Amino acid sequence: MALIYRDFIHDARSAASSRGMPGVRTVLETIPSEWTDMDDIEAGITAVIDDIITGLTRPLTDEERSPERKAEKPPRIVFKGNLEEVNRFFYQRGWADGLPIIPPTEEAVAEMLAGTDLPPDHLVARLGPRLGKATVEKIAINAVMAGALPTYMPLLIAGVQALADPAIGPTGLAVSTHSFSPFWIVNGPICKDLNINHSYGALSPGDIANATIGRTMGLITKNIRGVRKGIEDMGVLGNPGRWSMVIAENNEDSPWEPLHVEHGFNKEDSTITLYFVSSYQQILPNGTDDKSILNTLVHYVTPGQGGTFFIMITPTLARPLGSKGWTKQDIKDFTMVRPNPRIPNPVQIFVAGGAGTRLGILSGSPRPIVTKKVELPAEWNKLVAKYKNIVPTYAMY
Amino acid sequence: MLNREVHPVNTKKTNGQYEVLSPWAEADPIPLKELAAPRPADLSGNKIGLLSNAKRAARPISSVVETKLKEKFPTAEFSQYFTLNAVGPPEIETENKAKFEEWIKGVDTVVAAVGD
Repeated sequence: MALIYRDFIHDARSAASSRGMPGVRTVLETIPSEWTDMDDIEAGITAVIDDIITGLTRPLTDEERSPERKAEKPPRIVFKGNLEEVNRFFYQRGWADGLPIIPPTEEAVAEMLAGTDLPPDHLVARLGPRLGKATVEKIAINAVMAGALPTYMPLLIAGVQALADPAIGPTGLAVSTHSFSPFWIVNGPICKDLNINHSYGALSPGDIANATIGRTMGLITKNIRGVRKGIEDMGVLGNPGRWSMVIAENNEDSPWEPLHVEHGFNKEDSTITLYFVSSYQQILPNGTDDKSILNTLVHYVTPGQGGTFFIMITPTLARPLGSKGWTKQDIKDFTMVRPNPRIPNPVQIFVAGGAGTRLGILSGSPRPIVTKKVELPAEWNKLVAKYKNIVPTYAMY
Repeated sequence: MLNREVHPVNTKKTNGQYEVLSPWAEADPIPLKELAAPRPADLSGNKIGLLSNAKRAARPISSVVETKLKEKFPTAEFSQYFTLNAVGPPEIETENKAKFEEWIKGVDTVVAAVGD
């Protein structure tokens, strides 16, 4: 029998069900997550002690002893209506994220599927906690909804593989009270093919690739993994990064080896790296010489020694560090003045951002980062030619 | 201003109507585990297991549960088990499987405090 904070009842039921134990008894109490006040804990347990005793001693019912699962076979076509009706239907079913969606019609999904040579029913992964089947078609449907382009499919498929990696755990940090946000870093030639921004405002809205790749992964988290806000996702504060936190590394203007090369891939490979971010801060270094940049980093990174960090360095600030001979490893060693033995390799570095003097520090989960290689379809160049010119053209005033 | 007025992905509609596909994934039925162990009719004289995960409210909750149950069932025995995990796989799927199974065999019933 499990003691569950009353707000977590749906989360507890989903967790028990996903482990094949829907009959596990629960007693709801009033002690919030992570609470430490002993008077409140004592009062909370005192109020339910009789329920606990009943839960432990009441004979099992037939349903509890031998639970039955209702077969779930969702229809492929779920609705027909106009744009507004489709949007309302998806939102009310809990399948959308609050922004309008593109209706995933047969035609739109077929066009999205042109972005991969894999058949629609190919199973990329089963994503926990629900173990939903991330088939190529389901990925494509969610990609259409998000407004993605077909050329993003190879990256999205690799992203799903990253989400399924055991290194990030069975629930992939998506249900944590800590509201981690997936942060996706793309490396290799695909960055240019997809126009993934690595320059000015790369983490701001305005680029279709940066915006919709992350949005698709968010919809996949909801509709394939089965992680819904306030139901399974018990993030207390929430995280704006969950809209979309996607960036390319600027390898051309970096003095160092790219992130994916550091992690064993070839420079010519295209990869996607997944890291779970708690928060993001922008820092103006004390000066633009190497020592000033590094001392600023130590000042800001040190207080959070318990976790991990991604340090985003603009090409402008990377230059003086590189020219003074600082390698990525030197910077990591210099920054982690009090390394935590339980967290190997806690600092990652990548180069991105416009030509300016800002450092980005992303602090996050102690789980290791995951990098997956992107496999491209045979007609990739033709596909890229078809969609690459979709870029904003701003009127000057 | 975008250089195309409509989204490039084909959303061809018929009379303003869209027939749309489900984004909700299918999932294979998860094998259900039967709850085979009978529940004790009375906790007196039973060995009660108290399982706490690594969430910081879990251990204090288990301690209070033990105190309260002791008051009502003075002949009950208690055994606490602490996991170092809060968000990871269940203990039975970790390297502590054997230790956990041994603990489970030694108790008559279990109250789990997960701190959430």
